[in-house]
Amino acid sequence: MTRTTTAGTLTGAQLLVRLALRRDRVLAPVWIGVLVLMSVASAAATAGLYPDLAERTRVADAVNASPAIVALYGPILDPSSIGELAMSKMTVLYAVFAAVLFIVVVRRHTRVEEESGRTELVGGTSVGRDAPLAAAIMEAVLLAVVLGVLTALGNALGGLDPLGSVAFGALWTGTGLVAAGIGAVAAQMSASARTCSAFAAAVVGTLYVLRAAGDTGPQWLSWLSPFGWNTQVQAYGDTRWWLLLAYPALAAGLVLVAQQIRARRDLGSGLIAARPGPPVGSPRLGDAIGLAIRVHTTAITLWSAAFAVLGVVFGMIAPGIDDIIRGSSMQGVLDKLGGYLIAAILSIVAVVASYFTMTVVSHTSHDETDGRTELVLATTTSRSRWFAATALVAFAGVTWLLVVTGVGLSVGYLAADGPDIGSLVLAALGWAPAVWVTGALGALCFALGPRWTPVGWAWPAMFLTLEILGDLFDLPGWVTGLSPYQHVPALPAEPWDWPAEIGLTALAAALLAVAWWRFRERDIG
Amino acid sequence: MEAVIEISGLVKTFGTFRALDGLDLTVAAGEVHGFLGPNGAGKSTTLRVLLGLLRKDAGTVRLLGGDPWADASELHRHLAYVPGDVSLWPNLSGGEIIDLLIRMRRGDPRASRRDELVERFSLDPTKRGRAYSKGNRQKVALVAAFATDPTLLVLDEPTAGLDPLMEQVFNECVAEHKARGATVLLSSHILSEVERLADRVTIIREGRVVESGTLGSLRHLHRSKVVATVSGTAPELSRIDGVHDVQVDGAQVSCTVDPEALPAVLAALTQAGVVGLTSTPPSLEELFLDAYRDRSGARR
Repeated sequence: MTRTTTAGTLTGAQLLVRLALRRDRVLAPVWIGVLVLMSVASAAATAGLYPDLAERTRVADAVNASPAIVALYGPILDPSSIGELAMSKMTVLYAVFAAVLFIVVVRRHTRVEEESGRTELVGGTSVGRDAPLAAAIMEAVLLAVVLGVLTALGNALGGLDPLGSVAFGALWTGTGLVAAGIGAVAAQMSASARTCSAFAAAVVGTLYVLRAAGDTGPQWLSWLSPFGWNTQVQAYGDTRWWLLLAYPALAAGLVLVAQQIRARRDLGSGLIAARPGPPVGSPRLGDAIGLAIRVHTTAITLWSAAFAVLGVVFGMIAPGIDDIIRGSSMQGVLDKLGGYLIAAILSIVAVVASYFTMTVVSHTSHDETDGRTELVLATTTSRSRWFAATALVAFAGVTWLLVVTGVGLSVGYLAADGPDIGSLVLAALGWAPAVWVTGALGALCFALGPRWTPVGWAWPAMFLTLEILGDLFDLPGWVTGLSPYQHVPALPAEPWDWPAEIGLTALAAALLAVAWWRFRERDIG
Repeated sequence: MEAVIEISGLVKTFGTFRALDGLDLTVAAGEVHGFLGPNGAGKSTTLRVLLGLLRKDAGTVRLLGGDPWADASELHRHLAYVPGDVSLWPNLSGGEIIDLLIRMRRGDPRASRRDELVERFSLDPTKRGRAYSKGNRQKVALVAAFATDPTLLVLDEPTAGLDPLMEQVFNECVAEHKARGATVLLSSHILSEVERLADRVTIIREGRVVESGTLGSLRHLHRSKVVATVSGTAPELSRIDGVHDVQVDGAQVSCTVDPEALPAVLAALTQAGVVGLTSTPPSLEELFLDAYRDRSGARR
């Protein structure tokens, strides 16, 4: 009980936890629900797909023989275990999606509250100084345990070994705890909630790449990353139970660091001191487009750097790999599990890049709810111009990110002396129409009214989920076809599908036009 | 004089809630017009319809001779607006935001009075948007609005976060703009704030106009609430013309008094041996109570 501790600085934490849980009553259950559903679906589907030990050992060996898949999902350390095979996507890749939830939750209740001034409001009451961070961590621990328990139950019901399911649930819980710790430290970095996101994303990205590098190269690198531990626990194989202790230990360390920084800084400030800004504005910051570019420049730079590094790393791994796959008799299975490395990477980059579009749309939505849009529209800036500025940065920005990824891949691929497989920049751009469609759907949600904007964030994840479920359960083509990503061929491995590309582009344009029309007609604020 | 703002029969509903219910408002060119009403009366909603942010449901609205919805961006060239609750871009400095807003109104910050105003409002323009207090955020918007020479200034509760010293600077700025012929629409829920600046006022409540006219013509706006403690017997104040709402509670007497009746009231109180006396201008809410009571009384 916090109330009985001597530290009065924690007073009111329980109250804040209740408040946080109430505010997250949609976000957290939906996110956790989707994760558990994916896990259970994978468990249930795989058990039916490979009932025969010899067959699944063959599949697992093939997976391990493909550095592409190992880089994406991690290796299958026990090829005879059906659980390890069933959870190959869940162990690392979906753990990243789980991690993002915990970072979002912690950031939302710490730095975002502090930046908005609401923490000051709360601090004025009898709520203690350390209570907001403590409450965010307490909520995260609670959600992590719920996620773990539900996943363990679900996997066991899905037909996997119950004890292994407990271990697997525990490793997702552990991932959540570590992510919450990362979020807590990231929230201390600067006064800006956006810096917090950027820092946390950079840490998660680095840990993921460390693991990818370790799993395909020097193995000790994997041990440096909690995502690497996820594989090493071997939930459904020869389980390393002791390794599960590493997660709470690391999480506790991170929270302690966050608390130390927090205790040493002023409310509203960060570890990186805010530099004073220019006393006058540059003429380039003179209209809606100038403003949109200025506001998103840092984010675009960071996203570009991340995609460039990702491109170069996987571009360099790629050449050695495609040869192995081509020579393998298991090519069909491998395609199903991820296909060629570059095509697989691009398909993931496309989904992730879609979130960049949403950050831009969401920013404009916040401008409106906070009252800044009002300030702008009371000038000669028209609604069309305001909408166009957002759309321009969102769509040109995301297209640029695809180009950057393509360039990164090309550079890496050439450096590793890969055989000619056509332009990787064009291959990356092949995903643009699908990304535009999701972006336009997000813009449409915002155009209906700012309270619909959060729905925009769900589209990319929903489409991805739909595709994976469709794959696992052999759903009819039109169901998976609802996802725009499904219509893009596995470039550069497959030939271009021009009708699909043109159709998607037209759809995106139409959706954007409707959004634009709606935004011009509706009430603001 | 030509009207800068002409609103008649304006209706705006949000779902089932009727925020504006047949509102009329006329603001003449060159006047400072006080737009008064308690919180939630519909002041901000009216201003946001005027700015083309909200679409009206019924009625006619003319702004600077144009349609505020259809011609919004063209009309805004001649207009500056300060919202009641100013929100700034967290990463931009105050100076950048001021210049941005001036440029967005097609003004030139370097040719404007922004530097002088930054000085007068003692604003630090190098701070980031997120670091400003409520009062300082308001100053950023005020500097941007006052820096150029708009035909119309629309100010929504502009002094809510300002300290008395800055309120003084604000009053001076409004007076300067009025002197050069600008029209000012100033919304507030505090009567005394508007009293000092406004030529005419319009008072609204629950989306309708209750009063409109020059301050002088709204006689009951000048009533004072007088509370006195007397040592002798309480005088019969209700006999005096222009005295209302007399209440006697032991040695304490309270009433509202028209300006003309003040000498008589004071004389009567002196005679009764006054030992304590306070006189306060009535709050807006009290005025409304008055206005409604008078009307229902007249109907009887």
